[in-house]
Amino acid sequence: MSATLAPYLDAVKSTLQAALCLEQFSSQVVERHDKPEVEVQTSKELLMTPVVVARNKLERVLIEPSVNSVRISLAIKQSDDIERILAHKFTRFMCQRADNFVILRRKPIEGYDISFLITNVHTSSMYKHKLVDFLIHFMQEIDKEISDMKLALNARARVSAEEFLKRFN
Amino acid sequence: MILLEQNNQIISEILEQKFSNVKEGGQPDKVNVNFCDFDGVYYLLSNPNGDKSKIRLSIALKFFKELQQHGADTLLQREYGSLLVTPEPQFNVTLEFDLNAIPNDYSEILRKASMLKRNCFASVFEKYFEFQEAGQEGQKRAVINYREDETMYIEAKPDRVTVIFSTLFKDPDDVIIGKVFLQEFREGRKASQTAPSVLYSLGEPPMELRDQPGARVGDNVGYITFILFPRHTNKKTRDNTIDLIHTFRDYLHYHIKCSKGYLHSRMRAKTSDFLKVLNRARPEVKMEKKTFSGRTFLAS
Amino acid sequence: MAGRLPACVIDCGTGYTKLGYAGNTEPQFIMPSAIAVREHGGRFAPEKGRIDDLDFFIGDEALSPAASNYSVKYPIRHGIVEDWDLMERFWEQCIFKYLRAEPEDHYFLLTEPPLNTPENREYTAEIMFETFNVPGLYIAVQAVLALAASWQSRGVDQRSLTGLVVDSGDGVTHVIPVAEGYVIGSCIKHIPIAGRDITYFIQSLLRERESGIPSEQTYEVAKAVKEQYCYVCPDILKEFIKYDTDGAKWIKTYQGVNKITKKDFSCEVGYERFLGPEIFFHPEFANADFTTPISEIIDKVIQQCPIDVRRGLYENIVLSGGSTMFKDFGRRMQRDIKRLADARIQLSETLSGGHLKAKPIEVQVVSHKMQRYAVWFGGSMLASTPEFYQVSHTKAEYMEKGPSICRHNPVFGALT
Repeated sequence: MSATLAPYLDAVKSTLQAALCLEQFSSQVVERHDKPEVEVQTSKELLMTPVVVARNKLERVLIEPSVNSVRISLAIKQSDDIERILAHKFTRFMCQRADNFVILRRKPIEGYDISFLITNVHTSSMYKHKLVDFLIHFMQEIDKEISDMKLALNARARVSAEEFLKRFN
Repeated sequence: MILLEQNNQIISEILEQKFSNVKEGGQPDKVNVNFCDFDGVYYLLSNPNGDKSKIRLSIALKFFKELQQHGADTLLQREYGSLLVTPEPQFNVTLEFDLNAIPNDYSEILRKASMLKRNCFASVFEKYFEFQEAGQEGQKRAVINYREDETMYIEAKPDRVTVIFSTLFKDPDDVIIGKVFLQEFREGRKASQTAPSVLYSLGEPPMELRDQPGARVGDNVGYITFILFPRHTNKKTRDNTIDLIHTFRDYLHYHIKCSKGYLHSRMRAKTSDFLKVLNRARPEVKMEKKTFSGRTFLAS
Repeated sequence: MAGRLPACVIDCGTGYTKLGYAGNTEPQFIMPSAIAVREHGGRFAPEKGRIDDLDFFIGDEALSPAASNYSVKYPIRHGIVEDWDLMERFWEQCIFKYLRAEPEDHYFLLTEPPLNTPENREYTAEIMFETFNVPGLYIAVQAVLALAASWQSRGVDQRSLTGLVVDSGDGVTHVIPVAEGYVIGSCIKHIPIAGRDITYFIQSLLRERESGIPSEQTYEVAKAVKEQYCYVCPDILKEFIKYDTDGAKWIKTYQGVNKITKKDFSCEVGYERFLGPEIFFHPEFANADFTTPISEIIDKVIQQCPIDVRRGLYENIVLSGGSTMFKDFGRRMQRDIKRLADARIQLSETLSGGHLKAKPIEVQVVSHKMQRYAVWFGGSMLASTPEFYQVSHTKAEYMEKGPSICRHNPVFGALT
């Protein structure tokens, strides 16, 4: 783990722990409804100040807390074209399976690659600290996976090129 | 399967079945099968005028006229000889097999028939390899529009034959993956001293084609140049070189697609990994219920 | 050929995959839906200089000695794809090795079993559009294709997408009601009797009587007997008498070669000829747990369906799959179902005290030449119509809207 990663993740972790204090909150607009306030954004008093935790220009996390829900959006490191398409492919692949990932938002917020939406229903049915663990784990792994995939792609390309060229004699 | 196969399985399987059937004394039955091959090649296997004792294999290539300018007819005549008949309408080459006159060992005919597409391609390469061997310079560059938006250029110099492919990546992601592959093709020569040297350029044609009218430009166009040396073009190694180079475009696209398949399987594995971690956040519900007979089951 | 290259039709079943180009009457390849892969510890830790995930065989090659160091897997279970990694690679070789098609140039028609989940359709679309860049994709329900396959034996005005499909392959038999192109999922029934059970049954009959067959070859002999000599009789009792009085005319001899000693052997084929397929109509012969004849099940399925389609279903019972190929199978089935339907009408007439007269039910079982590969043939036929290109989902649509477009595949073809 490089020197800047640990403090970055720590900062995200603490922010999340603080943000994940959610309670059930009935909608002020529609009777007998309960909507994630961070999504509907109907009343300012229910929204808290969004926080951006950034490691550098490319890697950052946007945490938008509200009274009954938190939206977490990640920007994944993409230093070149290949990492860009890999990140894009991967996040799209996951969003496709969002039904299984209960907290995954089907569409990322603009400017970010992937978003999660955690509501009070989630925090009451799941362990809060494990949810935070998941998000941190995700942030760590996604970078690693993308760079691994990039390496694997390069290796494959090399092998297939060499195999082809080797046949000439 | 790393390399694509040269022969067409459908041809060999159908003919094999028909030939062996006749050899075993069976009655020949009707054939009418249409199928394809890479590069938009279209085949038809049929009986001429309903005569079941003969089978016709016809091939249609969109660019056959261009190949004809480079001696395709002579080469096919050499390879297939008496099997050739007047092409059926809408087709370029037709082979006819008389089931009553099949030699006992028909494996050679099968092999040749299944290589029909390759042999159609071969002529243009052979012609330019000859030019190079004879040291003739200043021959016009051969232009084969082997696919709708993709073209192959061949040029001979006394010390080399240059083959340039233009290829089109239909998917925007493929452009980037394709670039990785092309880079590795350029580097690939380090692994094998006998390989031709490879150059590539993306978006615009290489220097050699600057004067060529109609050379495509665009973000999704790639050019790959193979420089074949006399060691590749001499009579002994020529066939192998042709086998390889004429499938290059399909090989490249095949591997790009396989890599995407590979990425998919990695993503599947990782996604189920993430899911496991997320599910750790769910408290395990321990609800042990007993049925009347005293057996238990876990509510999931 | 005018411009467009023919579409590729791939029908992946639990046991066998049928693949070929549209416009043909038979698939170009029929191969086991098997894939042989190398097993190694770390899945993504390939050795240097090799691409492990290209090192595999599919189809017959997967079961051949060439793949003896590989482990054979079947990615499809009960008609539904279980392992998408393997399936993706299976398709990869189907396309590049067998069909030799550049997938960017051809539309694709794939099949799915009834009751496939929409998610599976999305995963299929994801693979086809993203990995292979196909220009167009259509996912058809197998039962509907089997219905379409029966059109060629009939007049244009009789082309209906309502009907009951009886699909019997090697492992299991399905009875699937289809109304106007849509499967009535709640009424599907499975019958645990199919080709393999008939072979086992014949095998046991032969074993009891014939001693000349090498013991390790009895299954193959039974299979050959089933395919060459079996037929369906109208009445077993009469059939027994026929064999007993005039044996020479009915009893056949099967000639075989012992695989090990290379010597010829022969065995008599007697009652097996009609008793084999008879287990469809008298399952108790072979299976003590299951005793409902196929005709009764079909009748029951139709009775469960909405009342307004029942007549249509009775009128169009379509056979598909290799195990429905026995001579007179359709005729016997038609007669038995007709009896059941008539009996019911009779009963209701008596119960009404003779006041009500019901219109008799017309029962028609459709047999046709393409029965064996009915699903594939139906696909091949539909994929060569211009309409196919209109209803297929295109790559452009996919890029714009995503995989969810493939959740719905419009029914077509009935009116042309």
